[in-house]
Amino acid sequence: MSETEQIRAKAKELLDSKKVDCVIGYERATDGKNARPMFVYNAKDTDRLIFDQTCRHNLVRYLLNRKDKVTGIVVKPCDSRAINLLINEHQIARDKVVIIGVVCPGLVKTDWNKTGDKLRDACQICQQRTPVVYDVLIGEPKKVEPPADAYPDVTGMEGKSVEEKRAFWEKEFSRCIRCYACRQACPGCYCSECFVDRLDPLWVGIRIAPAENEMWNTMRAFHLGGRCIGCNACEMVCPVNIPLSLLNRKLEKEVMTLFKFQAGLDPEAPQPLAAFLKDEKLGVAE
Amino acid sequence: MSNNKNPLLPHLATLQNVIDLTPDVRLFQIDLNDADFKAKFDYKPGQFIFVSAFGTGESPFGLTSVAHRKGPIEVAVRKVGTVTSSLHDLEPGASVGVRGPFGNFFPMDQFRGKNIHIIGGGIGFAPLRPVILTILDNRNDYGDLFILNGARTPSDLVFANEFDTWAAAPKTRLELTVDAKDDNWTGRVALIPAVVKELQLSPANSVAILCGPPIMIKFTLTELKKLGFADEQIVTTLEGKMKCGLGKCARCNVGDKYVCKDGPVFTFKQISGLLEQF
Amino acid sequence: MSKFISKKDLNSWLNKVREKRRLIAPTKVEDLVLFKEISKVEDIVSDYVNTDLSPKEFFFPPTEVLFSIAKKDGGVELTPARVEKETVIFGMRPCDAKGIIALDKPFLEEPTDPLYREHRDKTILVGVACLKACPECFCSSMGGGPDDPAGFDIMLTEVKDGYLVQVLTDKGKALMPDSMLSESKEAKPKAAEVAKVPAEGVNVRLRQNFDDPYWGRLADRCIHCNMCSYVCPTCYCFDIRDYPNKGKSDRVRSWESCQSAGFTKIAGGHDPRANKGIRMRQRFAHKLLYFPEQFGVSHCIGCGRCVKSCPVNIDIREIISDVQKLGAKGE
Repeated sequence: MSETEQIRAKAKELLDSKKVDCVIGYERATDGKNARPMFVYNAKDTDRLIFDQTCRHNLVRYLLNRKDKVTGIVVKPCDSRAINLLINEHQIARDKVVIIGVVCPGLVKTDWNKTGDKLRDACQICQQRTPVVYDVLIGEPKKVEPPADAYPDVTGMEGKSVEEKRAFWEKEFSRCIRCYACRQACPGCYCSECFVDRLDPLWVGIRIAPAENEMWNTMRAFHLGGRCIGCNACEMVCPVNIPLSLLNRKLEKEVMTLFKFQAGLDPEAPQPLAAFLKDEKLGVAE
Repeated sequence: MSNNKNPLLPHLATLQNVIDLTPDVRLFQIDLNDADFKAKFDYKPGQFIFVSAFGTGESPFGLTSVAHRKGPIEVAVRKVGTVTSSLHDLEPGASVGVRGPFGNFFPMDQFRGKNIHIIGGGIGFAPLRPVILTILDNRNDYGDLFILNGARTPSDLVFANEFDTWAAAPKTRLELTVDAKDDNWTGRVALIPAVVKELQLSPANSVAILCGPPIMIKFTLTELKKLGFADEQIVTTLEGKMKCGLGKCARCNVGDKYVCKDGPVFTFKQISGLLEQF
Repeated sequence: MSKFISKKDLNSWLNKVREKRRLIAPTKVEDLVLFKEISKVEDIVSDYVNTDLSPKEFFFPPTEVLFSIAKKDGGVELTPARVEKETVIFGMRPCDAKGIIALDKPFLEEPTDPLYREHRDKTILVGVACLKACPECFCSSMGGGPDDPAGFDIMLTEVKDGYLVQVLTDKGKALMPDSMLSESKEAKPKAAEVAKVPAEGVNVRLRQNFDDPYWGRLADRCIHCNMCSYVCPTCYCFDIRDYPNKGKSDRVRSWESCQSAGFTKIAGGHDPRANKGIRMRQRFAHKLLYFPEQFGVSHCIGCGRCVKSCPVNIDIREIISDVQKLGAKGE
């Protein structure tokens, strides 16, 4: 059975047995080429579910809207880390989710009405091909040899001078229209009132202009320090193609170097930037 | 560029007086700087203006004064957000901005000869004051006047300094109620809908005018309908987040009607015909 | 016979235009095609179907100072902002001109927004007809068409080695006088075939199905970013606030979206559109019901940008069809 057929069968079983009242998966988008999220409430609709290399959305974000209901959900390995993150942060309960994990073939570059055959940059260096948490696994578990440099993009950026980096980000952020799609797509961005939405008092100005754009983009990344699970949902939704993952991954690399920690691998492990351990050293330089 | 040509440019004005009405509500008496604009500035009960706290922004407020008394224009402002906090920081003599007046108004002409029930909760009572003042200043034109002012606590009742005058006016009855009393309160402790029910307000030849938080409006409406009030006999003034006041910024709409332009005054007959909930 | 201008003459004309005015045209920015101020005419791209963002920003900027506020003689002085430079927008598609016509309704109907008026008066629109359609666009179902010249001062249609020219207004004539143009016998090429959407009467259906659970189900998938509003050529929701600026303040108007949480939340805390499905319905009701009934023109012009950029494929074409299928319930 193909991955799609297995997902359909599992979803049907979950809905028929009333273990869940909704399965969140993927269906074909209106361009006939890409995938879009689908909420299945009715077993007869399960035959619309699909899985392929265009299924780019991290559906875990939607669990935040369904905290008190049991939900079936299709997750890729990176998405599965978001489940651990949210359990770790007490946002969702493990027993409210039935996880249909899919061994990930990597996503291809897609655009509206276009599907490429090349893997996305992030998927080319991804080392997590099997979900870290699941109730049912679809596909054969896969081990990937870690590359010599897991952060080639970040290393490249680190080689630049401060002036070059500033010029680079000023140019990138200048395109930002502050639609906040990056935040809305991120499973870790769930503050009940985001700092940019704070109106009373106003924390970040309403102007769509360089200073405010920079404030937004850097604070968004910092807030995910040690929390970003690398699904790249933010970057994929950006309408003006700002390379947000470069910022996220720089922070991830720092946390990895300092604390040997990656978010979402363990639902119990304390987060380095949210927990202070007794034998922890203060300061960065040793 | 003349002020009048730019609908988003406020007219400069000066705070003449600031009066504490409750611990968090202040009455701002505002004098328009431009003599020509001041001479032309006419408004009716129920209309509202935008007041600018320069450096922060502007917000809409229902007018609490009446034009025929020829005094300063007045708004009652509860300190709840950024603009209202900045306004509360201002002292007499400070410059503010005024745009307006905007919106429709209570049809005082149609109310002539009728008994009027005024029911206001909290700061929602403020925009009903012009109706009261219009009736009191033209006492023979209207029937019985019943005023019900309710608030969370006794100190939150707005316009307390005018209660004696209102209560003493001919054919006028004033009732006060609070959700929670303090040591000095000997009056009613009841929610507004319960008072409406208890007093058995009569729908005969009358109009009920409501303003307050949406939850108060909802339950008071239910009681009034039980008493036999028809939808067209019940009038309210709605609040909505708005930026322009001109029916353009598409924020205060309830279905296809704008609170700023088609309202803020609606009868419940009109409201029940709206697509959306307010 | 039609008027004609060669590509070479057009380029030298654009160079001349640029001397005294701001020239805005589609240009490549990373992987995107955007309207930007052009410093070299060679940077203008012609092999685009449409730009990724709409040209509304040149009339209704993402952030714009309405007036500045200064303390003076113990009081306050307000100085309204002005639009300094004349602008020529080159390479606009017919759908976007329809978008400007729609934006004109709220901003130019009395009382007129003076800043928008000035942007409009000081801008000349040079359109280029669509010979190729985007897979997501549907202008001809929303009152437009791929070769509809409405709204333009000058309209060009690409032919071999140049463009057929329609000069439509006096403003256009002053910028591109007849003396610049030659006669051509070349037949006007066939405009793009644009996909159809059953938009006829959708306002009525929407009203009939206003309370249908459909809107809630649609909102399941929506992640409530503001992208659709920001890429849309006609969405015009804004916020207004004062902004400190070197010892003075500016009253600033910035784009906002009806999709953002708290858009309708009033200071006391009440929010009539706290629910996601209700916010989503508001967007489509404004586009397809309120605006057409208020102003007599559609508020969706069928450019397809929201379809293309929505991260979760909320597709207004599908919604129009779905609402039609819901039928005459509640009648």
